[in-house]
Amino acid sequence: MATTDGTLALGPGVDAPVRPMGVFARPGSTPGWRGWITTVDHKRIGIMYGAAALFFFLIGGVEALLIRLQLAAPEGKVLSADLYNQVYTMHGTTMIFLVVMPIGASFMNYLLPLQVGARDVAFPRMNALSFWVFLAGGIVLNSAWLLGGGADGGWFNYAPNNGVMFSPTHGIDFWNMGLIITGISSLVGAVNLIVTVLNLRAPGMTLMRMPVFVWMSLVTQFMLLFAIPVLTSAQFLLLFDRLFGARFFDVSQGADPLLWQHLFWIFGHPEVYIMILPAFGLISEMIPVFARKPIFGYPFMVFSGIAIGFMGWGVWAHHMFASGMGPISVAAFSVATMFIAVPTGVKILNWLATMWGGKLRFDTPLLYSVGLVTMFTIGGLSGVTHAVSPADTQQTDTYYIVAHFHYVLFGGALFGFVGGWYFWWPKVFGYKLSEFHGKVNFWILMVGFNLTFGPMHILGLQGMPRRTYTYRDNYGFNFWNLVATIGAVIIGISFLYFFWIIWKSWKDAKAANAVLSGDPWDARGLEWMIPCPAPAHNFDVTPTVTRLDDFWHRKYAEDESGRLIRVAETADVSMKGDGTGVHLPSPSYWPIVLASGLPFIGWGLIFNLWFCLLGGLIVITGIYGWVMEPADDPEAGHGHEDDHPSDSDDSSAAAEVAAPEEAALVD
Amino acid sequence: MIGKARSPLARIVPLALGIVVFAAGCASNAPQDTLDPAGPQAKQIDNLIMPVFGVAGIVFVLILGGAVWVGLKFKAKDDDDFNEFPDQVHGHFALEIGWTIVPAVILALVGIFTVITIFDLAKKPADAITVEVTGQQWWWQYRYDLNNDGSFDEIVTANDLVIPTGRNIALRIRSNDVIHSWWAPRLAGKMDAVPGRTHPLTIKAPEAGEYIGQCAEFCGLSHAEMRIKVVAVSPEEFDAWAEAQQAPVENPTDEAAIEGWKIFAGTCTSCHTVRGMNDPGAVEGDAGPETSTTPFEYPEAKNQLANKLARQLDQGTGLPDLTHFMSRSTFAGAKFDLRKNTDACNALGLNWATTDDGLAKCLNRADLEAWLRDAPSMKAMHPGETMAPDSRGMPNFDLTEEQIDQLVAYLITLK
Amino acid sequence: MASADHTDHGLVTSTGVSNEKLGMWVFLGSECLLFGGLISSFLLYKNRSGTSSLHERPHDLYDLAFTSISSFVLLMSSLTMVLAVSAIQRGELRNTRVWLGVTALLGSIFISGQVYEFKEFLNAGYGFTHSPAWSAFFALTGFHGVHVSLGIVMLLSAIGLTLTGRIGRGQAESVEIVGLYWHFVDVVWVIIFTVVYLIK
Repeated sequence: MATTDGTLALGPGVDAPVRPMGVFARPGSTPGWRGWITTVDHKRIGIMYGAAALFFFLIGGVEALLIRLQLAAPEGKVLSADLYNQVYTMHGTTMIFLVVMPIGASFMNYLLPLQVGARDVAFPRMNALSFWVFLAGGIVLNSAWLLGGGADGGWFNYAPNNGVMFSPTHGIDFWNMGLIITGISSLVGAVNLIVTVLNLRAPGMTLMRMPVFVWMSLVTQFMLLFAIPVLTSAQFLLLFDRLFGARFFDVSQGADPLLWQHLFWIFGHPEVYIMILPAFGLISEMIPVFARKPIFGYPFMVFSGIAIGFMGWGVWAHHMFASGMGPISVAAFSVATMFIAVPTGVKILNWLATMWGGKLRFDTPLLYSVGLVTMFTIGGLSGVTHAVSPADTQQTDTYYIVAHFHYVLFGGALFGFVGGWYFWWPKVFGYKLSEFHGKVNFWILMVGFNLTFGPMHILGLQGMPRRTYTYRDNYGFNFWNLVATIGAVIIGISFLYFFWIIWKSWKDAKAANAVLSGDPWDARGLEWMIPCPAPAHNFDVTPTVTRLDDFWHRKYAEDESGRLIRVAETADVSMKGDGTGVHLPSPSYWPIVLASGLPFIGWGLIFNLWFCLLGGLIVITGIYGWVMEPADDPEAGHGHEDDHPSDSDDSSAAAEVAAPEEAALVD
Repeated sequence: MIGKARSPLARIVPLALGIVVFAAGCASNAPQDTLDPAGPQAKQIDNLIMPVFGVAGIVFVLILGGAVWVGLKFKAKDDDDFNEFPDQVHGHFALEIGWTIVPAVILALVGIFTVITIFDLAKKPADAITVEVTGQQWWWQYRYDLNNDGSFDEIVTANDLVIPTGRNIALRIRSNDVIHSWWAPRLAGKMDAVPGRTHPLTIKAPEAGEYIGQCAEFCGLSHAEMRIKVVAVSPEEFDAWAEAQQAPVENPTDEAAIEGWKIFAGTCTSCHTVRGMNDPGAVEGDAGPETSTTPFEYPEAKNQLANKLARQLDQGTGLPDLTHFMSRSTFAGAKFDLRKNTDACNALGLNWATTDDGLAKCLNRADLEAWLRDAPSMKAMHPGETMAPDSRGMPNFDLTEEQIDQLVAYLITLK
Repeated sequence: MASADHTDHGLVTSTGVSNEKLGMWVFLGSECLLFGGLISSFLLYKNRSGTSSLHERPHDLYDLAFTSISSFVLLMSSLTMVLAVSAIQRGELRNTRVWLGVTALLGSIFISGQVYEFKEFLNAGYGFTHSPAWSAFFALTGFHGVHVSLGIVMLLSAIGLTLTGRIGRGQAESVEIVGLYWHFVDVVWVIIFTVVYLIK
């Protein structure tokens, strides 16, 4: 249809919509909370991913503080051994699966269609399904707290300690069900976003003109696509063992516990890159904007990301250097692991080279980006010391490892995400976060982060094992543990501060009542061509791309000496957000209906199979309704697509126009 | 950019490294310090990793320094005109290739030394004493094969691993239940104890003394309190100890101890073994205790899951063997001191309990009695119902104070 | 499931492949790894048939001739699937229904054979809970069986939709996508058959 001719106006002959097939009517544009639960708009789904992740971040953060309070002094009495084991397990699981991954998904959902110049993702309803299934998984996982206690085996839950003999409560069952469900979400999301990037690029956007963030997201989604089913298969084996008496991990019948470790880490190592690559992509977008230079070595940035994606599959057993695999496997994985540091190093040097010679505007996003570059470097270098496998037998399962992966995931991924929030906040919500408070917050967080996790390097090398609920007075662990706890409190404060900044910035913006331009940072990507906040239909006219950073080059051109000169005012090359006749996929109830059946199946497998029947019926109803739903809302007319999505009542009338029959967007 | 920065950085690197190493290595009292290796295996690891730490430190300082320096040097001034742009450099092929190859070469060098060390450490030691190490929830059992002939000698201990100095000890690490990891950092890197598998690890203690460690793979509730103590003694002392360990236990003579013996045989033997113990039931009646030499029949131990697995895996019993209990310095997974942890008592070494004086001065009677009174309150365990299939750890037997005194009186005869 | 007048033919995607088809390919890529995990588990465990007196391994018990025939039946269903796709592309709805029906029937015969085989093993005392080898056997073949069953549901749904007119010549690609899935399931069976039944 009219997706590529640049006008997006309806072609002739489609103006009078016939009532399409379908048994169930499709909800039209709906205001208020109904608009959110039925939405298929990638931007709203991205916002919901972010909001849900922040909610789980609060839970995981409280768990982290409990851990640090318990360990503030030797022989701590805040938590019992049992509760401590649950809290640290749930902290790790929550932060990985319910915080870092969905924040990545949030950015990808919001930005990918905008950055490739698409109107939405390839399968909008599946996109909504992906979010609701994720939420269902998070609820199942955390419902353990109300139904008998959380999982207590660590986030990688090694067999046979994860068996029902050694962990007789249902905690690990909740863990298992919750993560199988979030796995479905990741799989649906991966298929959707891969197809979106491959298929829905604007005219002229070849693969090598895609922003680095799109590339990193694509690599991430491919890794998810292949890694998640391996975890799922391992989890099914565990499920059969725990609930139906199978013998996959019954050592007395000849099972080998290392099977679980191999399957888990074949998933688990790519997972590390799944968590960090989106943040790499984000800062690759931000640094050039604030350096006012293009990204240095774009093809090397892309190919090093792809190289990480491939090499990430060949190094999983470096998590098992003390597992007794034998010297040959250990040597092979040791060497492979060393070389994965090479593409990562290339990225770091390219970021520095992008800054080199630039005109650095140290706004908050750049601060966080440089924070990622430096803090991740620490995590990367300690990673190289793990690759030296004989040394790893001294380091693994100690606080040195805890320090390492927090520098990677907190100093790396989370710093990138927070920077991304500051950078894209105006695009999403129409106001900037306070620069002053943002900078203050950055330094508080930086201090708190390093106070918390820096000393853990020392603790680990001093021989403090991880996952211990207590330690002794005379082992030399006291001082640095206290420092780490103080740091953790500072991190907690800095995030409360962050939430306050959001509120304060919102309030100030409301009071000022100023209209933000679409391009507040003088940025480069296509998403800055459209107003802030982004209108529901994204682009008035699908842009035609001629080069990398197309929007930038519409504003600026290089003269003969390579100097940049402005060739157009930003407003002149931006879109007004007043596109007409843009057809958007209609909202749908079925994604949330389908997803709501999954927790019942999960709980049913644990408690009573009748719940499974209920859950199954809901899922089947959801699928049936999904299939029988008309492709579009027949009642909706086409016409002026006004403004941005808003759940306030005054805009609902204008939003009455979500238009039908866009085949490209009908899943 | 790096060239300019090198000279001041060259001074900073050793300083920064020095601070880290100082902070980690010279902490007041860190018995598990990996940076203070004692055994040759741990030293070999240390020699391998120290240069890597050095290189990593240099790279870190270069990157961090580089980032800060670039940040300061190219920071835009407040009065800068943002419509004047820096040079639009898109990349530099030679640079990219350079910083791909240089790290790769450095890492390849590290890789070569790593691989050499891996195979070196995996070599089977000649003329070693073999010790089977069995991890269980939440303590370690050691069985010895002194002459390396493939069959175990009658030496089964728990918590304390007694070894002779200057000799390779070939550990064969196994598990009775879940995965544990045996780790005495000053002697060697850790090795997982995986049920159904046997993993080798070689250690050697050059000097007499205690080397502290603990279980390093999460193994359930009391993972934090599954401790390891390697006691290295001179070869002569070790030989004497080994001989004493293989001697039969003597019947108690003290009246309270005889009562304790009966309680032990009635209550404790469903899980604990005392090899060579006689049947206290045979002393009932007129015969004096010194005549009771009927071998004790142990009840079929069936309350421990660990026992069930252990029998299937042929790996000894489920709970600590208490033969020669009083030659140890700790109990309950080495969570508590059996021998008081004072300089005077530690100086008595392995033989602390062989004299009445040593016993009186050094027995940590308070913790031992508290343990017998209510073990679950002393250490996180799953005692459950005594006969429940998933029970692990010692339950509370509701012993009276008198019975506890009698049991202690018996236990201190297990020298 | 686009309506009749809004087919994918008018849509130009960056790769030229429709979203739905590309999505199915991507999804099948993921499925490869799911079966990869299960096949690896089986290969590790195939000889670990427990410590009880019943310790036959899966490949000690099966009837190769029987399974070969049912495998052949499943392979033939790939052929009929191709005929169904070609029929709908020519707009021959009746032939399409016939070939889809035959495909579903062949799939059902295969599933019946699997149920029969499972029952034989259960009667001999080898269930899902017997030992690692048998747990892995049932998990692997069972997962595949579930995939075939879902494929049969898709085939029957497709027949139903051609009857109500919702799938016609314009929606040939829907049938093609179902076919992609079906061929994948067949190919996976070839691998499973080799790994489980042919390699000792």
